Amino acid sequence: MLPWLMERGEVTVAGAAERFHVSEPHLIHDLEVASLCGLPPYVDELVDLWIEDGVIHMGVPRLFTRPLRLTAPEGFALLAAGRAAMALPGADPGGPLGRALEKLAATLGADDQPALVVDVERPPLLEMVQRAALDSERLAIEYYSAGRGELRSRAVDPQRVFITRGRWYLVADDSLAGPARTFRVDRIESATPTGEHFDHRDVPVERGDFFGDADTVDVTLLLPASAAWVAETYPVHAAEAEPDGRLRVRLAVASERWLERLLLRAGPEAEVVAPAGWADLGRDAAARLLARYP
Amino acid sequence: MADPLERLTNLVALLLEAREPLTLEQIADALGGQYPTGETARRGAFERDKAALRDGGVPIETEVLGGTRAGSTGYRIDRRRYELRLDLTPDETRALQMAVAAVHLRPDWSADALLKLGAADETDGADTTPSAMLSSLPSLPLLFEASTRRATVQFRYNGRARAVDPFGLLTRDGFWYVAGFDHGSGEQRTFRVDRIQSDVTMGVAGAFVVPPDFDLAHVLPEDPKAMGAPREAVVAVSAIRANKVAREVGEDAVVERRPDGSMLVRVPCGNLPAFRSWVLGLLDDAVVVGPAEVRADVATWLAAIAEPAGAA
Repeated sequence: MLPWLMERGEVTVAGAAERFHVSEPHLIHDLEVASLCGLPPYVDELVDLWIEDGVIHMGVPRLFTRPLRLTAPEGFALLAAGRAAMALPGADPGGPLGRALEKLAATLGADDQPALVVDVERPPLLEMVQRAALDSERLAIEYYSAGRGELRSRAVDPQRVFITRGRWYLVADDSLAGPARTFRVDRIESATPTGEHFDHRDVPVERGDFFGDADTVDVTLLLPASAAWVAETYPVHAAEAEPDGRLRVRLAVASERWLERLLLRAGPEAEVVAPAGWADLGRDAAARLLARYP
Repeated sequence: MADPLERLTNLVALLLEAREPLTLEQIADALGGQYPTGETARRGAFERDKAALRDGGVPIETEVLGGTRAGSTGYRIDRRRYELRLDLTPDETRALQMAVAAVHLRPDWSADALLKLGAADETDGADTTPSAMLSSLPSLPLLFEASTRRATVQFRYNGRARAVDPFGLLTRDGFWYVAGFDHGSGEQRTFRVDRIQSDVTMGVAGAFVVPPDFDLAHVLPEDPKAMGAPREAVVAVSAIRANKVAREVGEDAVVERRPDGSMLVRVPCGNLPAFRSWVLGLLDDAVVVGPAEVRADVATWLAAIAEPAGAA
């Protein structure tokens, strides 16, 4: 607090209290204590500070000329956020963020070896989609729908682009499915700017985990230990170990095709517990594909 | 009893000004009456103060003294470490602030850091497109600090206790990895941080050096299918997914493009389970053409799944 005050010279009590999220009486108490600090003969100057008419006045104490060192979580969070931002489209390594991160890494002792790397996927059409969102320009796209297993043409109004769990998503108003649908950018096969523009809307980003443009089905699976990756890779409602070592997993599923893919990769020991109508989904999909391996 | 904040402030001032490490006795004398007189209570209060200051980013260093005070423990604050030598220009501070606004990690960690750096509190409501959500785990800051300070860490992984010299952290596809030297196996290994089965503890700083040829960006295989023997399979891919697969495997791997848009590609299959997952993930849009043993492996796997329920 003291270096911040010092930088500004004069601040209202109300302003400082709001800045540091404390009540005014709490703030005044802390400042009074700080102004009394000092311990001759070890400290020649006291912290020079007084409050008058609701305004804090600050001198220049020798001891507190620099902010405190960053704690481990703070340093890590800044560097991780900064390096992630540098991996986003449009980032400029020679720009202010790049320079700030070099200085930050040096302070954290992380500059001689890159102790932290943020590796972000870059689907080919990401920059075009991002630009369209910034310019509020409609795109004509070919999109691979995982649920249907087909490529369809549509016009989208890109509102928001973001990355979570290592995958890029686009939220856009869709000519086929309606407003605020979510698309995987890496499933956009082609995109052409149309020259038409639309009004941008602020679309909130779900902090939750699941993104889809369809209603989902609540599915319960029993998985062998070898398929624990399912619970690690996808957002699940619940994952509990059974006495026999299997994993009981509940998750939201957007399409039968998606579940087929999961079951075929999870293997012969995986079982659909609910819904009952999908108990044979894996078996039927395996038989269907097996027909192509005579 | 002294106001705790006052005692902390005086302790910091005392240790910063001192020209040599001070023992607890000297500290208690100098801060007359602010520490309890009883030995245990005094020690307890001092340890709590040390912990509070460490959490606030002011580590108190400990030394065993020599000379006239031989054997006793002295405490000091290294003034060079105390001062955050981070001089950011206004545009650099702003850039960091925007990065934090655009990338969600643990809001409380980075918000405090920005306060310390003197960054402006108010975002101007700028649209943060694109934004990113990075997964975060409680053990990450400790692992990161351990890697910068070259301190060995201990944790439980895959049912075994490990001692690892952490060289660095990597995040990809939503997962965090720590790469380093695994004492137990005597080899460089990469661990998934979300699979660590215990708290992580950190040893003393300066316990190892990072090999000069260590390449953190490439500790993970680019293609899991290619691990193991350098073997390739030929896969037929339907027209719908042909372009996507060609981007993934590279044009050099395309053997043939057919008039209907489908194609044949060469795909690494040294890691057979990874290859099988990849092929089956494409469902009806891919089929293994050869070699025969790879076709047979996929067919056997499918046959096992296709068994009617209850079959022997």
